[in-house]
Amino acid sequence: MSDALRQSLDLSMFWEYRAILLQGLIFNVLVFLCAASVALSVGLGAALLRINRLWPMRLIGTLHVEIFRNAPDYIMLVWVHFVLPLLIGIAIRRRVEFHPFTSAVIALGFVYSGYFAEGFRAGIQAIPQGNLDAGRSFGMSERLILWRIILPQVVRRMLPEALNLFVSMFKATTIVSLIAVPDLMYNVSMVIQQEMRPLPLYTGAAITYFLIIFALSVGVRHFSERWRRKILA
Amino acid sequence: MSIARAARESAPIFMSQVLSQVPNEAPSQVLSEVPSIRVAGIHKRFGPLEVLRGVSFDVPRGSVVSVIGASGSGKSTLLRCVNHLEPPDAGEIYIDGEPLGARVDARGNRKARSLAEINAMRRELGVVFQQFNLWPHMTVLGNVIEAPIRVRKLPRKEAVAYGEECLRRVRMIDKANEYPARLSGGQQQRAAIARALAMRPKAMLFDEATSSLDPELTDEVLGVMRELAADGTTMIVVTHEMSFAREVSDRVIFLHQGLVEEEGPPGDVFGAPKSERLQQFLSKYRKQ
Repeated sequence: MSDALRQSLDLSMFWEYRAILLQGLIFNVLVFLCAASVALSVGLGAALLRINRLWPMRLIGTLHVEIFRNAPDYIMLVWVHFVLPLLIGIAIRRRVEFHPFTSAVIALGFVYSGYFAEGFRAGIQAIPQGNLDAGRSFGMSERLILWRIILPQVVRRMLPEALNLFVSMFKATTIVSLIAVPDLMYNVSMVIQQEMRPLPLYTGAAITYFLIIFALSVGVRHFSERWRRKILA
Repeated sequence: MSIARAARESAPIFMSQVLSQVPNEAPSQVLSEVPSIRVAGIHKRFGPLEVLRGVSFDVPRGSVVSVIGASGSGKSTLLRCVNHLEPPDAGEIYIDGEPLGARVDARGNRKARSLAEINAMRRELGVVFQQFNLWPHMTVLGNVIEAPIRVRKLPRKEAVAYGEECLRRVRMIDKANEYPARLSGGQQQRAAIARALAMRPKAMLFDEATSSLDPELTDEVLGVMRELAADGTTMIVVTHEMSFAREVSDRVIFLHQGLVEEEGPPGDVFGAPKSERLQQFLSKYRKQ
């Protein structure tokens, strides 16, 4: 027992492989950034559908949210990587394969777009009608109102929630190793196969993730609170 | 660009010039010709409820028209119809003789305007709302320069200079960099007036601008409105402030159940009301 403890606390092996592990971490960050952009833009689109005047549009938006919010990210990842290419292949009568990175970005992006859509929708609906009336009365177009009046307020309002989502999302990037995206966890497994020393390597990976996510969320929360307080005083 | 407009935009701004007035034109000569705003037969219904049942009146350039009436008489709806925030079901609004909701071609055919065209027209009317409706994520100055920059496409520097001028008029220049949440209701409403003025509108529409203010704050807003009226601003004022309406208006319109029940110069409307409804309405205010 004490031997196991000593082993898992001895991170020298983790440090030894830092170059390859760092490379993996960069993949995590890349998957995160790409998936986050997908989640934000698709989520905004779905939110706008959900508050559309036409009911078929609202239905599409609602379906989107319900499907992706209720799909486990692991299953979505496997489905997008193995099933979706098959379906597309049948549809266009050609063999289709997704690069693991592409699958990871699509799967995580869409799963989280469901959550972001709900955040956007709630944020948009929380804005008093008078704010929009004022914009319209000065001749602002609907697009201008969306970008200059609605979204800046929505972003401020949903920031704490969005921050939590980003943290979950960054954590979720660790499962992309399952479809062989060479991320940190994937590289850790590779090294473990070679060195047969899982304890320090897994512990090192855990500590690395913890430090990164903790530092990010503390930093961003501090920054965002000050920013929010200005308008919600 | 017309010469008048060029002159307006390059000349230093005097109070009387802030609204779109041509300096060397005597207002009285233009008055009788084309009214600044013509409201013609406006109807508006919300489901089974017919809020406006054919309201018509003119607002000559440089004049102040007050709209009074009980709650639910359609005053606010009327104002929202004037700039098509609520598109009227029937009737037309004319701004300087130009129909707001439709275009009439050379052959006299009426064609509904696109939203973009309506937007271009409605920016000629500066609206001040009961709830101020300042944008909370922008500073006071940010609120004031937003539409001039984004809609009028003014260079930022110019917009700021003119915006500050407008803030000075409403005595809010010292709060230019504050966020609305940190201001009193009266200050917010004065900032909202500056925001409307900054668009150099042809007319200002006030929708119960003091109704959500504490009594001690209404005076500072009414003071600013009084000055605008004295400077020859074309104004439609929906209000519950009878003494204010009496003092500043050129014409008073009494709305009752979606119709103009009585109208005339303030002396007549307040001094010698003809209709029974208006007499009842005014007597309630006298008691207070």
